[in-house]
Amino acid sequence: MAAYSTELPIRADLDEAHAEIAARWATTGSWWSGVERLAIVEEVRRARDSAELAPWEAPSQIEGLVSSDHVLPEAAVDAIWRITSHPGTLTAEWHASILGSGIHPEAYVELVAVVAQANAVDRFADALNLDRVELPTPSASEPPKISETPLQVTSHWVPTAKIKGPNVLKALSAVPFENESLSLLSSAQYVRFGDLLSDLVSDQNSLSRMQVEVIAARTSKLNECFY
Amino acid sequence: MSQDTQVSFEAVGDSESGDGGVEHGALLSRLCEAIFEEDGDQLASVKDDVIEVAGAEVLIDAVAVSANFYMMTRIADSTGTPLDAGTVEPSAEIRELVGVNTFTSRREAQV
Repeated sequence: MAAYSTELPIRADLDEAHAEIAARWATTGSWWSGVERLAIVEEVRRARDSAELAPWEAPSQIEGLVSSDHVLPEAAVDAIWRITSHPGTLTAEWHASILGSGIHPEAYVELVAVVAQANAVDRFADALNLDRVELPTPSASEPPKISETPLQVTSHWVPTAKIKGPNVLKALSAVPFENESLSLLSSAQYVRFGDLLSDLVSDQNSLSRMQVEVIAARTSKLNECFY
Repeated sequence: MSQDTQVSFEAVGDSESGDGGVEHGALLSRLCEAIFEEDGDQLASVKDDVIEVAGAEVLIDAVAVSANFYMMTRIADSTGTPLDAGTVEPSAEIRELVGVNTFTSRREAQV
């Protein structure tokens, strides 16, 4: 099923990638259920569509913003809003406070992945005045909540597995399913991971690699991302 | 495009500083700024300009790349991702030129 209904000439592989990502959001994760994962996406949408909070304001502390029977813990909702609206202000101390509120370190990694994907997919739709991708029916099974691979906290705030590649590609390695989603989305929207360092003359889409890198760098600077 | 192409960092700094040797560099930079600002009128105007000079396919692919970096920046900033070994020194001059050393995320990065 297509992700978008539009006359715009969206590449088929890009449309398929967004439909696949939406299906993956609804799947039972390693640490969050399908219902919870879709709730994460819905919170990203709420954070984007609401009046922006200041970085120091947590939605859970504002009356009426987070219902008492919310499917997600308050700390998760607070993290989703902060990551969505003010990623450049995040600190190690803030990360520690989220874990201190009871979010498991690997559950945090999975949450970051879904939040980040939702930001990418929805911003694409919003910028082109498309309807955001429809959220599928969630899987009913419960997440296993066990580590899938040996992990250590070494270079990042979060635990990572021993894998080769740039540090940003190690960031989600604690949850391999999310690294697959990252690869799927990034390959359709940016550059295929296998071509990251080698391909300067890509014919993957209508842009030259130099144009792709200008857009990537300009967007990263606007988001005040040092990495 | 050959690998001998000369490019500079103007279009990364802002859209007022030129193309930096990249075809439509300033216009693509302006598109990124309009997406970030989420100003409907500004975005509509830039999108029309991109379609006029480069075509609808370029607009869609450019929006897709920009949107991708709302994902990558959030992953890097939320996980405390440090600069890669071997890139710290070579990128020092570029970081200064592009003007990222004042970011809060710079203070958190293990450089």
